[in-house]
Amino acid sequence: MIGIGEYHVGSVPMMAIGLGSCIGLTLYDKDRQIGAMVHIMLPESSGRTDRPGKYADTAVLLLLNKLSDLGCQKSSLVVKMAGGACMFEYFGNNLNIGERNAEKVRAILAENHLRISAEEIGGKRGRTVAFYPDDGGKVTVRSADGVAHEI
Amino acid sequence: MDAMQELGNIGAAHAATTLSQMISSPVEMSVPKITVVDVAELANHIGEESAALVVFELQGEIPHGGYIIFYISRKSAVYLTNTMLGLTDPDRPLNEMDESALLEVGNIMASAFLDATAELLGFIMLPSPPVLTIDMAHAAMQSLIAQMQEDIDEVMLFSTELFCAEHKIDSDIIMMPETSTLKTFVERLENLMKPS
Repeated sequence: MIGIGEYHVGSVPMMAIGLGSCIGLTLYDKDRQIGAMVHIMLPESSGRTDRPGKYADTAVLLLLNKLSDLGCQKSSLVVKMAGGACMFEYFGNNLNIGERNAEKVRAILAENHLRISAEEIGGKRGRTVAFYPDDGGKVTVRSADGVAHEI
Repeated sequence: MDAMQELGNIGAAHAATTLSQMISSPVEMSVPKITVVDVAELANHIGEESAALVVFELQGEIPHGGYIIFYISRKSAVYLTNTMLGLTDPDRPLNEMDESALLEVGNIMASAFLDATAELLGFIMLPSPPVLTIDMAHAAMQSLIAQMQEDIDEVMLFSTELFCAEHKIDSDIIMMPETSTLKTFVERLENLMKPS
């Protein structure tokens, strides 16, 4: 289980439950069958370095560095993400944090020449995302009333 | 901290009274809890269970003061609206009538809570119009925390459980103030406790 702002690298199944505007980002190395997942809450770290997994701008680089330390090549990585919903349109000065989180993740991935192979972003519903590096890097998404489906 | 506890207590007690009036049954309340939760640990407090949350932003003298939330599990929500609407089926899906009823209950309870705390604190907090979501509880709370004014690692939750044994209704009223609002609370409460 990966809490808000936390991440994990390895080959065991990982899960981020109840993503609203948060994003669950997964990177899977198809050559080595290992992967990394992070639970991002906000788009910009604004210079903060103590919780790199919490912010889109630092979280992507964090995972890339951790995987690179293990010898993973960028060209072997399969990138997926889910979350970024907007559950409370009315509040928060119309900041659509979910959408901004997703945009920031996309931008940093693009800077690193990485392509997203699957995503499920936006909408109004919460999601639980599970990642199985031990099962071909499978990523499943489940909503409050739904059955999990693979993306 | 005792004074903060009292703040939660007085608000929740008034909310419990109004809930009791609306369902014409006794409503009991737990001892109000003040919990400081690290966002990384939020899932240990509020999980992915499906729940109805009626959410209000705290407005008034403090423009974006935080949130007050009427939280009720999906199952209890059906029991509650069944009681209000004179229905009996506990397994039915929630429809628009239920949503209106939940908004109404939340509205009256939040107003009662904030009226009571305003009296204690000496400043007015008003509830914004309510927003209802029936979804994973963690996802809803997480979205609210992400929208708060400051980038925080911890939130302070004032939560009190309200339950009605007769109708098997179990709910919580939760206040989640902004850091700046908490400072104002502390200042006001300290002033109140100074010997005059």
